[in-house]
Amino acid sequence: MEIFNYAFMQRAFVVGILLAMVIPCIGVVIVLKRLSMIGDALSHTSLAGVAFGLIIGINPVAGAVAACIMAALGIEAIRRRLPRYSEMSIAIIMSAGIGLAGVLSGFVKNSANFNSFLFGSIVAISDMEMFLVIGVSLTVLLLFVLLYKELFYIALDERSARLAGVPVKIVNFIFTVLTAVTVSIAARTVGALIVSSMMVIPTACSMQFSKNYRQTVLYAIVFDVVFMIIGLFAAYYLGLKPGGTIVLVGVVFLLFIFIGKKLLGVKG
Amino acid sequence: MNRVTKAILLAAAASALLLSGCGQKKEVNDSGKLNVMASFYPMYDFAVKIGGDKVNVTNMVPAGTEPHDWEPATKDITGLEKADVFVYSGAGIEHWVEDVLKSLKNNNLTVTEASSGISLLKGEEQEEAQSEEHEHGEFDPHVWLSPVNAKKEMENIKDAFVKADPANEAYYQANYDTYASKFDELDKKYKDTLTPLPNKSVVVAHEAFGYLCNAYGLTQMGIEGLTPDSEPDPARMAEVIDFVKENKVKTIFFEDLVSPKVAETIAKETGAKTEVLNPLEGLTDEQLKNGDDYFSVMEKNLTVLKEALE
Repeated sequence: MEIFNYAFMQRAFVVGILLAMVIPCIGVVIVLKRLSMIGDALSHTSLAGVAFGLIIGINPVAGAVAACIMAALGIEAIRRRLPRYSEMSIAIIMSAGIGLAGVLSGFVKNSANFNSFLFGSIVAISDMEMFLVIGVSLTVLLLFVLLYKELFYIALDERSARLAGVPVKIVNFIFTVLTAVTVSIAARTVGALIVSSMMVIPTACSMQFSKNYRQTVLYAIVFDVVFMIIGLFAAYYLGLKPGGTIVLVGVVFLLFIFIGKKLLGVKG
Repeated sequence: MNRVTKAILLAAAASALLLSGCGQKKEVNDSGKLNVMASFYPMYDFAVKIGGDKVNVTNMVPAGTEPHDWEPATKDITGLEKADVFVYSGAGIEHWVEDVLKSLKNNNLTVTEASSGISLLKGEEQEEAQSEEHEHGEFDPHVWLSPVNAKKEMENIKDAFVKADPANEAYYQANYDTYASKFDELDKKYKDTLTPLPNKSVVVAHEAFGYLCNAYGLTQMGIEGLTPDSEPDPARMAEVIDFVKENKVKTIFFEDLVSPKVAETIAKETGAKTEVLNPLEGLTDEQLKNGDDYFSVMEKNLTVLKEALE
């Protein structure tokens, strides 16, 4: 097919499908923990990290990863203090991140430099970024499989997890760092918009069908891979912006699922 | 977020105007020099060259910033209130000009649209230049990239200075004459260098080089339309890649002020190399420190163009 004649599209498919498999793993746990907005919060905070990296002269990607980890741990810390309002912790960190990014960006001399670290695009991925994504994805998958039970307990109910003998603190810590690293790398590579929507929309679709946690995870991955493939094809053949297209495909699917369920429900 | 930021900035600027506008008398210009506000780098450079030590020129868009997305802040508006001359290039690149000028209370301000009198090109890639095209209007605003047009812009600036400060007319005229001949030289050099070259197609980051291409018989293929810095769509990228392969284009040009990622992706796919072709929309701090100006950058552009088209 013509679309695969181009190396940049091949890359888009490889990286896109890989991320579509990994991000829902994190997404399901995030959604169950009532932290759906964490993707947005972290990607905004990573801007502050990029700016900081450029100012003091370290690698901006490293700066972004560091800022994301700190922000994610910050969210965890605030969430533990306000357990019943976990979305508040995200709002707080997000405002802090945007504020910091705004102030710091004033000290960055070359705006082009800044922009190139802020906005990734799935159709313009460099070698380094592709290897980073592959590395991060494999790490996330491995840890997700190893900690499958622990994460499941924690996602459903932290207190009973603790009673059941799950080392909640350590697992939460690992998961938080994992989320932060994934978001900062993926946002830089394919764009913040795709990352934050890929965490939540496939999970939302999947929850309409799944009967248990395992199904939720599996369906979410399937949905996300399907969205990614349809989105990339549509963007290529219809000449659309890929980031927005991929997100909208997911939203349209979700909408149809809601409508379909309603119609069936009425009939049955 | 960008839109929101813009809205907030405009609101801030507007309220600052309201607060400062009433009752404030225009400050007397104690240095005896003409205070000039220039909308972005080429305007600044031309104004400095004409005005020499008789004027204070302020470049409104800071070094290292892309002018397409720029909006004036409060201090720029107060600067305009105190200025004697305001120079902007026009044809739509400074989309904020109309609104800001309407809101000014400065009756002594001489306003010059430097591109007036230049026959404008229609923006050919209007349909391609998605999201932000409305800000650009229907014309390609990048007039200064052809030396002939740049000379005309400088002449307009000279006329504005003469109008605002008739006492120094001879001085401005003399400066203009010096640089007018430099523009002619540059124009000739471009013609002599580019005309005999076998290839005529350049691939650029955004279609800023319409006037330049028109003047010297080149065609440009822009990765983006008239405005830089939006996400590229894959269909357009595939089109550019095919074009590069078919026409055996050796160099993909990108810009200092725009992320090179897409240019690099295309270069890698086609085996072309990347090189900076500066659309002179702004210089970085470093370039200013090195003493670069319109002429030195245009010379550099000619060198890379020659290499790419040989």
